[in-house]
Formats: sequence, structure tokens, C-alpha cells
Amino acid sequence: MSMDPIRAEDLVGEEWAEWYRLTPQERFAESSKLWETYLAMGGSLEPEPDTQSPFFDEEEWRENAGHGRPGVRVLRRGGV
Amino acid sequence: MLVMGGQACVFYGAAEFSRDLDLLVLADSENLERLQASLEDLSAKPIAVPPMDASHLKNGHAVHFRCGTEGAPGLRIDIMSSLRGTDDFATLWDRRTTIDVNGEPVDLLALEDLVKAKKTQRDKDWPMIRRLMEGDYFSSGEEASEQRVELWLRELRTEELLIAAVARYPGIAERVAPTRSAVSAALAGDSSAVSRALNEEQETERAKDRVYWDPLKKELEKLRRGIRDSSR
Repeated sequence: MSMDPIRAEDLVGEEWAEWYRLTPQERFAESSKLWETYLAMGGSLEPEPDTQSPFFDEEEWRENAGHGRPGVRVLRRGGV
Repeated sequence: MLVMGGQACVFYGAAEFSRDLDLLVLADSENLERLQASLEDLSAKPIAVPPMDASHLKNGHAVHFRCGTEGAPGLRIDIMSSLRGTDDFATLWDRRTTIDVNGEPVDLLALEDLVKAKKTQRDKDWPMIRRLMEGDYFSSGEEASEQRVELWLRELRTEELLIAAVARYPGIAERVAPTRSAVSAALAGDSSAVSRALNEEQETERAKDRVYWDPLKKELEKLRRGIRDSSR
């Protein structure tokens, strides 16, 4: 077995390695920026349907979601 | 109140973003009254079942809310009081991690407890555990305490890192090996056995989680049926 230290960049790539290097406060600040961008772009706060979750309610999902995703609704249907 | 779930994963480095907030609370009447007042400040309305009460929370259920306040419209908040495979709230509280965010203390479920809580039946939680431990391993550098190294040896799910940690700390690895096959395999230098052992751990925990949730899911279904029947 090698005793050479494994570098985060080699294992998970530069982007994740950089994220690991941040402090919790820096991550929170970066995440808050992502949050604002996500909302500004109209991102949904509905959880993705997760059939493996113990809380998943198949009927509620069917009632609320069009096209199988909670963030996608049928606003108008064509006549055909 | 402890922050757990995706938002805690952001603080610990395993996620970049979370669309909801998961909280672990002490389910006594005084605390739940305070929590209820805070939820009202956020204009948070309950969604789905069960209702928020000490009995459902203590039994292991999650209670779900959606905020209506201007600062966080639509934000979902999930509240739990008991997590499979972890200690009681008082012990989790004693072990918490507190982070200063813009002058405000934020109490997080300790890393080791968050990892245990993430050992669920869901596919998506397992890569998160892997990243939680990778993040901790890479950010601790050369100054890891013995307790930290033990945590890595108990919970690392990245084959290469587990093998590296065993090689770096063979004495501690010998001590942990009887409780974890993946560490025994790493000590033996058998990387394919490490990989098999990690998969077996995952399957075992997922099966335990399904068994734990089976009666709770039946209770949820009964509550949903009651609501649907009464609204017809």
C-alpha cells in the first residue's frame, strides 16, 4: 500500500477540492449566493419526488405534479 | 434546535446547496411551544401529515412546514426529534458543532451523528456520507486527533482514503478492525475486499432503515387516509 498522501484534487476534482478547502462560513456565504441565483432564475423549492423517502406520498405527488416533476406544471393544454 | 440534513451538509462541505431546512428538536412541551411561535413568525404552515405534537415526534416521525414569510417564501422546513441509529437529543446536543455565522451561533448536528442519520434507505444519502467524510479527511490535515482518526476509520466510504488512513494509522486501525470488515480488509491490503465490505455495510444499513420505517409509514398512510376520507 502506498503511503503517499492522496490529494483531494486527484480524487474528487478541482471543484470539490476547492469546496472542501473552504471554511463552513465561506461555504454558507457561497451557498447563499447560489440560493439567490436559483430563486432569481425561478427555481422551485418543492422537493424532488423521492420514491425512496419514507415520507413520499404517491397520491399527493400525482395530485400536485404534472409531467412527473413538482416544479413542472401544466398551465394550458392545447385542444388536441 | 440542531440543523441537520442538506443545510448541515453545506456547512460540513458535502453539498453546495439545499432547498429545504431540516431541524432536530427536543420534543418537550415548553420547547415545542417556542418552536411553534418561531414557525408562526415565519408564517409557516403545516403540510402533509402528521400534525406537530410531541407524541409523533418522539415516535420518530417528521413534521413538515412551508414558510410564507417574505424572506423565505416557500421554504420547506422539516422537523424531527428522533433519528434512527443515533443517541437521544440530550447527547446529540452535548456533541453539537456550533458555527458563528455573521455573529449568530448556528448549532449543527455533529458530523459523526449526521453521518449516522444519513445511513438511510435512499440512494442519494450514500454519496453524501462519502463526501462528508472526504471533506473532513481533507480539511483536517496533519493535525488529526486520535478521536478524529477513529471516526475516519469507522465511517470513511471512499476506498482509496480508507486504505490510506489504515496505512497511516495502523495502530488505531487494528483497534477498529474488529468492528469494521472494511478496515480489516484494508489492513490485509485487499482492496476488492474493502469495496465489497463497503457495499455490504450500505445494504445492511438500508435494510435496517426500511425495517425502522415500515410501521411509521403505515401510521402515515392511516393518517393520510383519514384526511382524504373526511374531505370527500
